[in-house]
Amino acid sequence: MWRGLLFLLCFGNAQADDVLHLYNWNNYISEETVQRFEKQCACRVVQDYYSDNEEMLAKLAAGATGYDILVPTGNALESLIRQKALRPLDKRMLPNLKNTNPAYLNTPFDPGNRYSVPYAYTLTLIGYNSEKLRELNLPVDSWAVIFEPRYLGKLKGRVTVLDSQRELLAAALKYLGYSANDTDETHWKQARDLIIRAKPYWAAFNASSYIKELTVGNIWLVHGYSNDIFQADLDAQNAGRGFRIVASIPKEGAVLALDSMVLHNSGPRPDLAHRFIDFMLDGRNSAELTNLIGSGNPNRDALQYIKPEVARNPAVFPGAAQQERLEMLRDLDRHQRRVLSRIWTEIKLR
Amino acid sequence: MRCGWGGGTMRGCFCMSEEHARLPPAARLTKWLVSGPPFVYLLLFFAAPGLIMVLASFRFPGEFGGLAPFTATDPDALQGLTLETYRFFFSDFIYTEIFIKSFIVALTTTLICLVMAYPLALLIARSPKKSRDLMVLLVILPFASNFLIRVYAWMIILGPQAALSLAFNGLLGMFGVEPVRLLFSPFAVLVAMVYVHLPFMVLPLYTNLERHDPTLLDAAQDLGANAWQRFWRVTFPLSLPGIFAGSVLVFIPVMGMFAIPDILGGTGDMLVGNLIKEQFLGTRDWPFGSTLSIMLTLAVLLCVWIAARLGGRRRYA
Repeated sequence: MWRGLLFLLCFGNAQADDVLHLYNWNNYISEETVQRFEKQCACRVVQDYYSDNEEMLAKLAAGATGYDILVPTGNALESLIRQKALRPLDKRMLPNLKNTNPAYLNTPFDPGNRYSVPYAYTLTLIGYNSEKLRELNLPVDSWAVIFEPRYLGKLKGRVTVLDSQRELLAAALKYLGYSANDTDETHWKQARDLIIRAKPYWAAFNASSYIKELTVGNIWLVHGYSNDIFQADLDAQNAGRGFRIVASIPKEGAVLALDSMVLHNSGPRPDLAHRFIDFMLDGRNSAELTNLIGSGNPNRDALQYIKPEVARNPAVFPGAAQQERLEMLRDLDRHQRRVLSRIWTEIKLR
Repeated sequence: MRCGWGGGTMRGCFCMSEEHARLPPAARLTKWLVSGPPFVYLLLFFAAPGLIMVLASFRFPGEFGGLAPFTATDPDALQGLTLETYRFFFSDFIYTEIFIKSFIVALTTTLICLVMAYPLALLIARSPKKSRDLMVLLVILPFASNFLIRVYAWMIILGPQAALSLAFNGLLGMFGVEPVRLLFSPFAVLVAMVYVHLPFMVLPLYTNLERHDPTLLDAAQDLGANAWQRFWRVTFPLSLPGIFAGSVLVFIPVMGMFAIPDILGGTGDMLVGNLIKEQFLGTRDWPFGSTLSIMLTLAVLLCVWIAARLGGRRRYA
């Protein structure tokens, strides 16, 4: 804020109108990146934050306006497109789009990328305490370690899984050899039985405090998000623990959640928004976010700027073979959502 | 005086309105000016959302959350009103099961709060005036910190590396019992439920007990009642309205609580509150969420009504 005021004092009111409104996830851009963009475009970036897609969609549905850029995940992107809430991109203003790995373009959510450009992604995978899992001699390359009682026996009360219907179901479906987007109810029931069989060994369904529990060594194995696992590892190192928290993409495959930059209809400055998107497609700026939070990076040009220890993390740049087994979650229709909720209630109650 | 104490609980209101009728116009206006804003506030922010909830429960869920449009141009699209969510609720015993489970948790919490709060409220009420105020302040003090922070604090207290867990498991170990996990368990949920709601039981009880006429106890003693009889035949019956008020204040919020099971619960600690929250967030099924909320409201009203009937009969027997 003070910087903004100072800016106003120095450059007068004419410049103050150059404001870009960015509505982004919490902690999803580095402060240095923002500063550099402000300098380059001689404008101000005003940020607003959300912590899940539903929150962002709800706020927009309630009539919030004035946002130039949003960063929705796949299914929320699809929803925004269908609501006709987005402005098509002018690709002539995005020369850096060539840096994006084609594997992350042309998704089912926005065929041809008319509205969206990949920003960063998160994988849902296995995170584990390196020391404990080595001691117990358990496999860490398969969902089996999350679902099979023969392994879980050694981990009773030391495992958490995400408190998310879709994510947990996807992991179970993947382990059973189905697609994460499979909607066959008999397959869902197999997944349910697999989950109920493993449940007695799990400590909790948890989507927030597992980072801390991993760091302090209370929990040894999680089904969690790649950036959370990255955070837990950083915390463990900073606290001088004797172990690392390691991420592993199971060989059966995992869920990929791709966040994209889009222009909201209500944004007053599509010109600045295009400049911002192109700026973020620059490898150096994209790399800054990955270095900060360990986000998956869809930018081929970013690798050279990423710290080597971060680049080695399979969740940041999965190999080609791993990439093929990653799946993005499609939205379920209302009937499927109700059926899944019913199954979820049963899982939680049994 | 027509509004006798024994007549019934609502009598007091009628007295007020009779009095009201005799007031001069200026005083009546003042009365409306004073009581009007809270009345309008309640109407707007309690009745209106309640009504919206009832209406929502008869609609179809929207594709991306919210509700499907009431009227759509496409005749195949879902529109209008339906009993679908109610059919879904009653066709499956699992939802009733969750209600029963939540009821048991709420009842247990209320009873534990009552047993813990009663002696404390009695102690405060019988203390000298000066220390009484201090003690009441101490009971209220936890409200000074955020509710979620206090629940998160229990994560640390109950954590496997915390002194409590180590001591408890050490004790179990001496008797050759396997160590247990305190955090992420029904036990943790219950402990936090009691902890958070205890002041709501203490305060109405204290307010009631403090007003008791001490000469009644003297009279009972003079008539030969021992300490236990004095409590059971004099203090306890007089405190029933306080017990009722405290129990309602604890029972109702516990029935709908979702944060505590979310944070401290294990893999099987889903309550009605969590189920409702899930409908609005993960499942994006507002109509079914509304139906569950209405069922919860009805269940709570039924419980309170039964309790009031039972309590009322005892009080005037």
